[in-house]
Amino acid sequence: MSKRPSVIRQTMLTPIVLIVVLLVMAALSYQFGTRAFNRTAVEMFINIMVVVGLYVFVGNSGLLSFGHISFMCLGAYMTAWLAIPPVMKSITLKGLPAWLLHTQLPMWVATPISGVFAALFALIVGRVIMRLSGIAASIATFGLLGVVNNVYSNWDSVTGGQGSIVGIPPTMNVWIGWLGAAVAIVIAYLYAISRSGLALRATRDESVAASASGIDIVRERLIAFVVSAFIIGIAGALYAHFLSIVNPGAFYLRTTFITLSMLVVGGMYSLSGAVTGVVTISVLIELFRNLEKGISLGALKVALPNGVQEIAIGIITIVILMYLPTGLTRNQEFSWRGWPMLRRLSRPVRTAMKELN
Amino acid sequence: MTSGGLELGARDVSVQFEGLKALSKVTLTVPRGRITGLIGPNGAGKTTLINVLTGFQPVGTGTVDLEGEVLNGIAAHKLRRKGVARTFQSGRLFRDLPVVDNLEVTGVGMGQTRREAITEAERVMTWLGISHLGSTIAGALPYTDERRVAIGRAIMCTPRYLLLDEPAAGMSEHESHDLAVIIRRIAGELGVGVLLIEHNIGLVLELCERIFVLDSGEIIEVGAPAQIRDSDAVRHAYMGTQRDEVIPALAAEMGAAS
Repeated sequence: MSKRPSVIRQTMLTPIVLIVVLLVMAALSYQFGTRAFNRTAVEMFINIMVVVGLYVFVGNSGLLSFGHISFMCLGAYMTAWLAIPPVMKSITLKGLPAWLLHTQLPMWVATPISGVFAALFALIVGRVIMRLSGIAASIATFGLLGVVNNVYSNWDSVTGGQGSIVGIPPTMNVWIGWLGAAVAIVIAYLYAISRSGLALRATRDESVAASASGIDIVRERLIAFVVSAFIIGIAGALYAHFLSIVNPGAFYLRTTFITLSMLVVGGMYSLSGAVTGVVTISVLIELFRNLEKGISLGALKVALPNGVQEIAIGIITIVILMYLPTGLTRNQEFSWRGWPMLRRLSRPVRTAMKELN
Repeated sequence: MTSGGLELGARDVSVQFEGLKALSKVTLTVPRGRITGLIGPNGAGKTTLINVLTGFQPVGTGTVDLEGEVLNGIAAHKLRRKGVARTFQSGRLFRDLPVVDNLEVTGVGMGQTRREAITEAERVMTWLGISHLGSTIAGALPYTDERRVAIGRAIMCTPRYLLLDEPAAGMSEHESHDLAVIIRRIAGELGVGVLLIEHNIGLVLELCERIFVLDSGEIIEVGAPAQIRDSDAVRHAYMGTQRDEVIPALAAEMGAAS
């Protein structure tokens, strides 16, 4: 029997392809895009981080999570606490402890700290939530979203309550956005090929057999939960630097559902799917946003009524999932020659499975 | 059989589901390196007993012990790490993963690195003669290959005990003969204590040194194949009658033996 090439060598092309494609997008946007377009590009990169983070947990464990946007909230507010100049903080955020009130950290330091903060929080709540399975786990994560949102909306002296906190240095640009997305992709890839990633995917397919194979389901789920919280915490931090303001409304239902639909549209069991979903939906949103603003046809200016964008995205999502229920990538990964071939291969496999059932 | 030897045992185990007695005061031991049989009609509690021995079903009363160490309440994955492996009636392969990864998962669950686990998976596949299946997606396997992969997954890192839940279900005579060869090798070459649960009585009588018969949650007979073959209690449990009718599989078996 021939020696199998190592796992990394078999699979490393996927993250490389993804990162290079995103680099090309960043370069094109930087070179030719308007300022507004570049902001859209940064937003897309941040969404890629969030959705890739979601993929780490949802894709490998098979459990749907409605709670991951709370990690974005945690990361963004932690960055606000760390990066806003002390002069401003002492007016708006009087309730912060003195040591925090007097620190001001640059983005490069504040961002990883924010990620670690979100990860630590996930480690604590995950110990409870990861014991649940199926829909109970999903609803529990939804509860988490509600709790975090409520705390951040109402703890006025520390979070500024419903209002926005201003004054985070606006240091984001397309390149940093790309770097963030690349870091997220590398972490997600390394997790997916790790022991824990393989074990977790086994629990996704057959949890009982996974236990009988010596796998501690709660532990593996918790590891994925913490890793994904770290990625999304970083995304939240960069988002705070991007908008330079934070408010709790940005990290609630709308963001939760749009990121989840990005993941599902792309293909929730693959890293390529996570990235593809974000790029596709972002392009569509941008397209319809421009159509709503109106386009000039000679002397005539045609504009779609406001709100068409949401409706159109919804309909397009439904149509995509009707024809490709496993997402645009059909849960496969991009690879050198593999993708189109795998697609052809997977059909007989699927038929064979049907026959067996 | 005395306690404290090299064996996996259930002692006076009772399990109740919502008032229904699934097992009552069951005592069963599986010695290392031997093949023990467990037979009984449908609904007798055989699978419940396997679940008890592998940590999937909490024990009501009584104890489960592994070579002297009491195991009550221990989680299934920890029992596997201690060397108690099992297969499932329904196969339960990781259908989306290739065969080699199906085996590799156990190695990873046992604490190996992925590289070590792949090496071990390849060794086990060679030992079982299923190396050619390595890169096939498990969901696409024919039934008998599925069974062999399930056994391969269970004997990764050579467990101390292996509990086979109806491994021959749906197999032809030829295929179950191949299976018998594998089971003998697992007990003989690897020194694994095997508990074989089967409806194919012929296979059980052929392979097992000692056979336990379970009916309605109780052990109604224990003994060597010859003793089980002649037991009225067993025949009654299976046929539900007292008629002096020989079960076809038994007739074939006795014909072969004489």
